[in-house]
Amino acid sequence: MSKITFHHTGGQTDVLDVEPGTSVMRAAVTHGITGIVGECGGQAMCATCHVYVREPYLEALPAMGEDEDEMLDCTATDRDDTRSRLGCQITITDALTDIEVDLPESQV
Amino acid sequence: MTVISDKLRGADAAPTADWVTISDLHQDPFPIYRRMREESPIHWVPEVNRYMVTGYHACHIIENDQATFSADETDSLMKRAMGHSMLRKDDPEHDVDRRSYGGVLRPRAIKDTWNAIFLQNSEKYLSRLKAAGPGADLVWEYCAPYAAENLRQVMGFYNATQEDMQRWSQTMMDGTGNYANDSDVWARSDQSFDEVDDAIDEILPYLRKHPDSSLLSKMAELPIPMDAIRANMKMTIGGGLNEPRDVLGVAVWALLSRLDQLAQVLADPSSYSMVFDEAVRWVAPIGMYPRETTCATVLEGISLPKGARLGVAVGAANRDPAVFDDPEDYDINRTKQPHLAFGGGNHFCAGAWVARAAVAGIALPQLFEALPGLRLDENNPATAAGWVFRGMTSLPVRWGA
Repeated sequence: MSKITFHHTGGQTDVLDVEPGTSVMRAAVTHGITGIVGECGGQAMCATCHVYVREPYLEALPAMGEDEDEMLDCTATDRDDTRSRLGCQITITDALTDIEVDLPESQV
Repeated sequence: MTVISDKLRGADAAPTADWVTISDLHQDPFPIYRRMREESPIHWVPEVNRYMVTGYHACHIIENDQATFSADETDSLMKRAMGHSMLRKDDPEHDVDRRSYGGVLRPRAIKDTWNAIFLQNSEKYLSRLKAAGPGADLVWEYCAPYAAENLRQVMGFYNATQEDMQRWSQTMMDGTGNYANDSDVWARSDQSFDEVDDAIDEILPYLRKHPDSSLLSKMAELPIPMDAIRANMKMTIGGGLNEPRDVLGVAVWALLSRLDQLAQVLADPSSYSMVFDEAVRWVAPIGMYPRETTCATVLEGISLPKGARLGVAVGAANRDPAVFDDPEDYDINRTKQPHLAFGGGNHFCAGAWVARAAVAGIALPQLFEALPGLRLDENNPATAAGWVFRGMTSLPVRWGA
């Protein structure tokens, strides 16, 4: 089991234990974590699962795809050049076990 | 389904709303939705012959659980009218069709190609509107031809006119809604079906030789079988024309009827995005779409049998007071919550970014800039209609002194 930590803008934290193969978006939506919407169900189409990945975890992330890059320019809250990713494109694997993210002000 | 098994599940049967009529819904569904939703998030509605889901939470659960709530419903009128498009498929088959659209409707293509075309079309139909003079109907002189011409070019139907697009769209959507099984409606729908097929067959060889950014150009290399292409093109004609037309009309009417918000927007053109978002929420262009249960299930405490025909009434869900404060009000300044007008999950509207660009990005700012003093014609009130699809049916406007 791996750990996903969500840091909300108000300072609260949610921690989820998830199985490999789950995306950050899917984990959040399944567990009712506010601050992630995931409107398009993970197709990299809606830009409503925007997260800021914390520094120590950036290296282990999969390479950013073209579609993801395109959608990150469409987020409701400004993109961070280093840390912004779509939660639906980050999957818990053997390579990426734990991860911590900061949630943006808004997804819509 | 027995009373005993319901009790064992601890679930109730859906209450029946036998007072709901289609003609009342068509005139103004919102007071009906409000009354229904206050009683239960799900009702059996005899005249519609569906379980209508009016609660936001219930609709949201449905759209994210295709295993239980299938898009491939039995006796689908849409399949009869258009063929089997992606809209009536579940994954993995749906995903194959959906991926075939690639980047055609995505933000990069909009920036690189479509915005310039939308701008051209807006200018063209603004001229037409101005020539028609104050008192003209904004819907039919601007919103409709603008939406139709945009779609014609996005799709690549260079061998058709925007009037053809409007006719094809309306007749096939009438077929999709032909619960009355009216034979004249089928005749017109079927004629459009054939005309669209002929147009596709004629244009694909051309696009193979002259590829461009259009949807049909992408289809010309046959990424999926031809019968799927035909159905998806018809579905796109049905889904990508009336809807942007309708949200544009509703947005203009809403602003022109609320002078404080109008003043705010005119002073700050970056607000058009909020105008669009709130219009789509307030009057969802597609007010209801169908699903069918694949097994007996319990949803929000209501038991549904296997094979239950659902009407997912996102038009109602978008005004659920559990999610939206003062939901019946059009208010661009409300705290934004995600609405369901573009659907959610795997069927999330593929044209959502195109609609936003064409309506909020170009049409709304252009309209208000080109027509100072744009206002409703007080001698000729605007009209709206529909519930499965809802929009302005007439919007007479005046401008200038």
